[in-house]
Amino acid sequence: MAAYQMSPASAVLEHKEINLSQTLTIDPVTRLEGHGKITLKTNEQGEVSEAFFSVTQVRGFEKFCEGRPFYEMPAIMARICGICPVSHLIASAKACEEIMAVTIPPTAAKLRRALNLAQTVQSHALSFFYLASPDLLLGMDADPAQRNIFGVASARPELGRAGIGLRRFGQHIIELLGHKRIHAGWITPGGVTEPLSPAKRDEILASIPEAYANIRLALAWYKTVADGFREEIEHFANFPGPFLGMVGDDGGLEFTDGKLRLIDAEGNVLLDKLEASHFEDYFGEAVEPYSYMKFPYYKPLGYPEGSYRVGPLARLNIASHAGTPLADVEMKEFKQLAHGPVLGSFFYHYARLIDILHGIEMIEQIFSDPTILDTQVRATAGVNRLEGSGFAEAPRGTLLHHYKVDENGQIAWANLIIATGQNNNAMNRGVLQAAQRYVHGDQIPEGMLNRVEAVIRTFDPCLSCSTHAYGQMPLIVTLVGPDGGTLDEVRRG
Amino acid sequence: MRFAEVSGPLLIEDIALDPRAIQILACGNTLRGDDGVGSRIAALLEASPPSEGMRVTFTAQLLPEHAELVSAADQVIFFDCSALTPAGTISVLPVEPAANSPTSFTHYLDPAMLLRLAQDLYGRTPAGATLITIGGESFEMNEELSSSVTAAIPEALDAVRLVCTAREHEKHQ
Repeated sequence: MAAYQMSPASAVLEHKEINLSQTLTIDPVTRLEGHGKITLKTNEQGEVSEAFFSVTQVRGFEKFCEGRPFYEMPAIMARICGICPVSHLIASAKACEEIMAVTIPPTAAKLRRALNLAQTVQSHALSFFYLASPDLLLGMDADPAQRNIFGVASARPELGRAGIGLRRFGQHIIELLGHKRIHAGWITPGGVTEPLSPAKRDEILASIPEAYANIRLALAWYKTVADGFREEIEHFANFPGPFLGMVGDDGGLEFTDGKLRLIDAEGNVLLDKLEASHFEDYFGEAVEPYSYMKFPYYKPLGYPEGSYRVGPLARLNIASHAGTPLADVEMKEFKQLAHGPVLGSFFYHYARLIDILHGIEMIEQIFSDPTILDTQVRATAGVNRLEGSGFAEAPRGTLLHHYKVDENGQIAWANLIIATGQNNNAMNRGVLQAAQRYVHGDQIPEGMLNRVEAVIRTFDPCLSCSTHAYGQMPLIVTLVGPDGGTLDEVRRG
Repeated sequence: MRFAEVSGPLLIEDIALDPRAIQILACGNTLRGDDGVGSRIAALLEASPPSEGMRVTFTAQLLPEHAELVSAADQVIFFDCSALTPAGTISVLPVEPAANSPTSFTHYLDPAMLLRLAQDLYGRTPAGATLITIGGESFEMNEELSSSVTAAIPEALDAVRLVCTAREHEKHQ
C-alpha cells in the first residue's frame, strides 16, 4: 500500500545535502517490480525544483559471484530477477560463449530467441494488464481502491482475461522449454541442454491463435483510450534524448542476436553495429548518492547529457521495421506519431503491445520451421579467452553481462548493465517534468501523485535487477534539525 | 491460424470447466524452511493423487493468472504454511470470495481475493474452496522442514483426502 508523507525540512532526510523548504516523499512507489522512493524538492515558491527517484535496495550479485566457475554464471545470474531471468540467462550465456570462443548451433540460437520472446510477451503482459491498465481504463483520478487489476476485472473482464491469457502463453512456452516458469535452467553456455520434442512444438503452435486474439483485443482497446491521455502524453517523460537498443543485420527489430544502435532525438544514428565487447568503449556508468541504481551514459556526450532511453519505445524508435507482417503494420502506425523518434514515454505502453505482437509472430515462425527439431543444440569448449561480454534485449531494454576470468575459468570480475538502470536518468527527468506540471504547493491530490508514479510505471522498471553496487556506493545521510541546520552527517564512499 | 482469422478474444465459454476437477494450489518458498512444505505436499499429491480429477499446482505465491485455473475447477484446495498457528497443527478453513476488492494490489493475492478475481473475470468460482495450513516453526533461510512440520505431513494429506471425499458426498446428495 502506498503511504504518502509530507515532511518538512526539519525531518530526517535520507538524501545528500538538501536545503529544502519542503520535501514530498512517495514511499513506496506502487505497482512496480521492486520498491522505489520518489522525493520531490520544492522551492520557496512551492514549485517543484528537483526530483529524485531512489532505489533503496542493494543486491550485490556482481560481487558475490567472484570465484565461481564461469559456466555457473547463467544459473546464478538468472536468480537476480523472477520477471526476466531468461534475458539474464541469454546475456550471461553469450558472455560465457565469448570466454569459450564458440559459436552455438543454429537451432540452439532459434530456441533461445523463442524463449526470450516468450518471456517478453509474459513480462509485457504483466506490465500492461496488471500494472498499467488500471490507470488507462479507470483514469488517473479514479479511486485508488479501484485502480488495480480488480477494478479492471470488474469494469472490463475481457481485458483482464486477455492479460492472463498472454501471461499464460509466454509462461507456458518457458515452462515447456525450460521445465520451470521461473528460473528455467535450460539455457547453458554453448547452447541449450536438450532439443525440442515434436509434442512440445505442437503444443506451442496450438496456443498461438488465442495469443493473437488477446493481443488484438489489447491493441484495439489501447487505441480507443490513448487519445484520452493527451495531457499525460505531453508531460510524461516527453523530452529529446538518445535511444539505444538492438537491431538485426537488416536494421529490423531484434531481441537476441543483433548488435546495438544508438540514435539521437532527431533519429540520426550516433553509433551502429556495436558488439557487446566494445560497449565499455562508448558507455560509462555514473553514480548518484540518493540511489543504489547506476546511471549509464554515452561517453562522447558526457554525463548526464549522454543519458539515453532503452526498452520498447527505444526499440521501435531505432529499428526500421519489425520484420513480421502484423507488427510491421503496427510499427508503421506507431512511427506516424512523430516526425522522427517518438519522444513521449507514455508510448512505452503502446510499444509494449507491438513487442508482444511481434513476439507472437516470431514464435510462430520459429516453431513452424522444421529445423527447430534438430538435435544438435550445444557446443562445448573450455576457457579460450579471459574476458567475455554478451547482451540481449530484456523486456525493459538492453541488458549486458561482462565477465573476466582467470586461467581456471573462475570469475575474477563481473559487471552488469541493466535495462532499468539505463532508463534511470530518464525516469528522474520524467518525474521532475510530471511533478512540475501536476504538483503545486504542499498539497498533492491523489490523482496527481498517481501521475508522478505513473511516469515511472511507463518505463516498467525492474528494481530487483538494477540495484547492483558499482564500486563503493556513495551514500550520504544527513540529519537536519528543526531549524534546518545539519545535526549529523554520515558519508560512505 | 493467423491474426486476421481470429474472430475475437477468448470467451468465458471457451475455458473448459471440468466438473470433476479438484485444483490444488500449494504455496510456499522452498528456501524458507517450513514455508517449503507446500512444495512437499504438492509433490506427494502429484505422485499419489487421492482423486482422479486432481490437478496440482505449486506456486511461490497466488497470482492473478491462477484465477483462470480455479474458475475451471469444481473444487479448489489452497495449501500453505501458517506463521500464525502452532507448529505442526493442521487447520482446515472454508474460503469464500472476498466481499470487496482489495484497496491495494501489486502482485500476489490471498485465496479469498483470488476467488473474487475468478468470479469477476470468468463469472464463476469453484463450488467448494478450502484452505488447509500447517503451522510452521522456522522460516529461516534453509531448505529443511522442521521435525514438527515433517511429522504433520501425513495428517495434512489426510485432510486433503477428507475434503475431497466430503465434496464427493456433497455432489451425490
